[in-house]
Amino acid sequence: MPDNHDYRKALHNDIDELRVEVVRLAAMVGDVIVRATEALLSYDMDAAAELIMHDDEVDALSIDIEERCFKLLALQQPMASDLRAIVASMKINADIERSGDLMVNVAKGARRMYGVQLPPRLRGLIQQMSDEADRLLRLAVDAFSDRNGPLGAALNDIDDRLDLLQAEFVQAIFEAHAAGDIDLQAAVQLAVICRYYERVGDHAVNIGERVRFMTDGRLPEHEGAARVKARQAMAASAERFGVDNGDPGEAPDSP
Amino acid sequence: MSRDQEVMDVTEKVLNPENMAHSQIPTTVHAPADGSVPDEAVVLDTDRMNVYYGSFRAVRDVTLRVAENRITAMIGPSGCGKSTVLRCFNRMNDLIDGARVEGGVHYRNVDLYGSGVDPVEVRRRIGMVFQKPNPFPKSIYDNVAFGPKLTKLTKRTARSELDGVVESSLRKAALWDEVKDRLGSSALGLSGGQQQRLCIARAVACDPDVLLMDEPCSALDPIATGRIEDLMQEIKAEYTIVIVTHNMQQAARVSDCTAFFTVEVTGERDTRTGLLVEVDETTKIFSNPSDERTENYVTGRFG
Repeated sequence: MPDNHDYRKALHNDIDELRVEVVRLAAMVGDVIVRATEALLSYDMDAAAELIMHDDEVDALSIDIEERCFKLLALQQPMASDLRAIVASMKINADIERSGDLMVNVAKGARRMYGVQLPPRLRGLIQQMSDEADRLLRLAVDAFSDRNGPLGAALNDIDDRLDLLQAEFVQAIFEAHAAGDIDLQAAVQLAVICRYYERVGDHAVNIGERVRFMTDGRLPEHEGAARVKARQAMAASAERFGVDNGDPGEAPDSP
Repeated sequence: MSRDQEVMDVTEKVLNPENMAHSQIPTTVHAPADGSVPDEAVVLDTDRMNVYYGSFRAVRDVTLRVAENRITAMIGPSGCGKSTVLRCFNRMNDLIDGARVEGGVHYRNVDLYGSGVDPVEVRRRIGMVFQKPNPFPKSIYDNVAFGPKLTKLTKRTARSELDGVVESSLRKAALWDEVKDRLGSSALGLSGGQQQRLCIARAVACDPDVLLMDEPCSALDPIATGRIEDLMQEIKAEYTIVIVTHNMQQAARVSDCTAFFTVEVTGERDTRTGLLVEVDETTKIFSNPSDERTENYVTGRFG
C-alpha cells in the first residue's frame, strides 16, 4: 500500500468540482442580493424584471448540482467525509437556491413599491440589511469552501446582527408611518421585504450548520433529537413498569 | 485550543464586539465511542492479543469484543490480520506450524487457548464458512448431515432426527426449496451461490453459537451475494456472526458493528504487522469514523 495515494481520485475530483459549482451558485445568488436591493432603492423596474428572469439560471445550476450529488450517491457509494460532503452539498444547495428565490421576492416587492418615496432612514436600513445578508451568505460559503467548521458554527451568532437590523427596521416603519411619511400599504410591503433579508440570514446559518456536519458529523439538531429519544424511553419504561415518572422532563436550557 | 474556544474566537473576529449578542453556540461534539458493548452479552473477546507465525508477529494488541446476535464485520487492507484474527476465534490457526497466540481470546468468558479446551468442540460451537464454497464430494444430504453424524457418533442419531436437522438447516440457509427434491444428488452439481449456502447449512447443522465467515461472497455474483447477505440478516437472531470482507459496501450493508484493521510496516526488514485501529457501530465507521486512519481507508485515501 503506497503512502499518500488516492485510490478514489475520480470520486474526489467529482466532489471538488461539486464544491466549485456550489460556490458558483452562491456567487450568483450573492450578486442577486446586491442587484435586487439596487432595483428596490433606485426604482429600476427593468432591473427587477431582469432579476426575476435570471432566477431560471439559478434554478438550472441548482438542479445540476442536485443531479451531480444524486449521481455520486448512486454510483460511487461514498463513505465518511466524502459522504458527508455530498449530503451537505445537497442541503446547502437548497439553502442557496431558496435565498435566490427570496431575493426574487424583493425584486417583485420593488414593483409594488414603485413610486413610494422612502424616507432616508428606511433606505439606509434596507441597504444595511442587504449588505449584512450578502456578507452572511459569503461567510457561510467561505466556511463551506474552506471546510471551516468553527466559522460555520459561528454564523448562528453572526446572524444576530441582521436580526437586530430587522427589528430596528420594523420600528422605523412604525415611526415613519406614524409620522405620515409612508402609507399603510407601503409599511406592510416594507415589513414583508425586510423579512426576506432576514430569511437569507437564516439560510446562511443553516449552511453553517451543514458545514459543521460536513467537518465534524455534528448537527445542533442532534441534541434536540437526543432529548426526544430520552423522553420516549422514559415514557416507555414508565408504561412498562406502571410507574408514574411524572413529567418526563422539560427540554433543558440550551447548552 | 478546544473546539468551543475556536468557535468563540471566530465569532469574535467576525463580529464587531459592540454589536455581538452573547448567545451560546451549540458545540457538543460526539464523544469518541470506544466500541464497548455495555448492555449486550459478549460472546467473543480478545485482550491485547498477539498472533505470531514463528518469530513473525502477524497481528499485535488486538482488543475486541463481539456482541451476541449481532453481525460484526472486520475490514482492512490485505495483510492487516483480519483473517488471522477470525481464525483465532475457532483455533483454525492451530493447524499452521509455528502459529502461536499470546494474550487472551475468550469465548463466553472461557479462555479458548486454555488447557483442557477441546479444539474440536470449539469448532463445533464456533462454525466457519470459507471464501470458496467447499462442499464435500458427497450428496447434498450427506454434506449437511456430516457434522451431526460426527459429533453424535456415539449416540447413533436416529435417521428421522437426522432428517429433521438436515431440513431445518437447509431451511435456515434458504436452500431447502431449491434442493428438497434432489437431496441425494451430488453437492458439486449446485451453483456457486447454492454451494455457499449449503456450506452455511452444513455449519448450522452442528448447532453452533457463532458463525465465522471469511469473505463468504467474494467468489459469488451479485445475486448470490444478495441472497447470502439476506440470509445473514435472517439468522442473526439465532447466531452471532463475524464476517471478514474486502468489500466495504458489504460490511456497510450487513453488519451492525465494524472493526477496522490496518497494517504497519516496521523495522529495517520491512516487517508488516496488522493491528486493530477502531471498532464501532457500522453507521459511525462509514459516516463519521473517529480515527483518521479509518477515515482515510474508507474514503480511499492512504498516507
